[in-house]
Amino acid sequence: MKTLKEMLAEAREVIPEEDPAEIERRRAAGEPLALIDVRDPDEYRDGHIEDATNISRGFLEFRIGGAVGDPSTPVVLYCQSGLRSMLASKVLKDLGYSNVINLKGGYQKWVQSGLPVVRDVPMTPDQVQRYSRHFLLSQVGDKGQRKLLRSKVLLIGAGGLGSPTAFYLAAAGVGTLGIMDGDVVDITNLQRQILHTTADIGKPKVESATRTLKALNPDVNIIALPTRITVDNVMDIIKDYDLIVDGSDNFETRYLMNDACYLAGKTNVHGSIFQFEGMATVFAPNKGPCYRCLYPTPPPPGLVPS
Amino acid sequence: MLPGVIGTIQATEAVKLLLGIGDPLIGRLLTYDALGMRFREVKLRRDPKCPVCGESPTIRDLSIHRQTSDACATTENGHGEREGALATTAAR
Repeated sequence: MKTLKEMLAEAREVIPEEDPAEIERRRAAGEPLALIDVRDPDEYRDGHIEDATNISRGFLEFRIGGAVGDPSTPVVLYCQSGLRSMLASKVLKDLGYSNVINLKGGYQKWVQSGLPVVRDVPMTPDQVQRYSRHFLLSQVGDKGQRKLLRSKVLLIGAGGLGSPTAFYLAAAGVGTLGIMDGDVVDITNLQRQILHTTADIGKPKVESATRTLKALNPDVNIIALPTRITVDNVMDIIKDYDLIVDGSDNFETRYLMNDACYLAGKTNVHGSIFQFEGMATVFAPNKGPCYRCLYPTPPPPGLVPS
Repeated sequence: MLPGVIGTIQATEAVKLLLGIGDPLIGRLLTYDALGMRFREVKLRRDPKCPVCGESPTIRDLSIHRQTSDACATTENGHGEREGALATTAAR
């Protein structure tokens, strides 16, 4: 009969271990890592690494296929101290997963290294009902909904583009929405800027936006920023958000948002429209082109149609 | 109605990016022609000579926006998602 010590030694021969800092670096670089927390559900709820999927060790063989379809995907396993997950890693390796890594020192060392963790707060009965249709979607589920609720999105502009974006993001339960717009509601806005109503004419757009969105979903924390984005405030504002959605209506802002988002490493969801045409794309720093790859400099003012 | 289509696409992309699911519109420009009711897709590539994200960038901070804020300011203010035109047509 093998001792535990011998089993661990055997596993260590075939399973590489990586430090928490190295795993965090790979995660931050956007490498396709699957993180599996093999502890029991109550341990997971008390605190876990963001994005980690909880599959208790006892269910590993049954559920790993649903969580990681491609056996060549790098899979990082962790438990509390790194021992249970070492044995679990060996099992995955035997199942045919070719790139299994054990988190050295486990969750304990991750926390001691000062790396970020998340804690699952129980959803209220209202939230369970409100987001029930999301739970049915396997790509969203309970885990995805919690992630949306923790997410912070900044909308540049609460006009034609910002209105529908804000409506749907609030409805979907994105936890924090920053809404930046220095304008007041004008009657000419109302034919397309659906966040605002006739009674809002003359009021700041962020004020009517906040009221409309809060009425739709009181879960959402709305941060109203009743000012125009400028070179002086942009870096300080975007640093607090996970994602920027640019629904601005002028080239000056688009170039400013492009440059600021690139420099701050923030992904920018870009959209613009003209008459009966529109376009959308995503500028993700160093993963794809930026606005200046398309158009290096703004057009001269005379060329801008009015 | 047109901004509803584009704004909703932006919201969809935002949720996909937050959740890390699907194929985001990175490196792809989706264009929408409401009168023809056609969507088209243009592949976008990174420009190694890009002044911001290229190999030897000349824009390393936001100071250019202080110098040129008058030069690229537009007269349109408030309710015109208008200037997108140039970008849209130039992409075709």
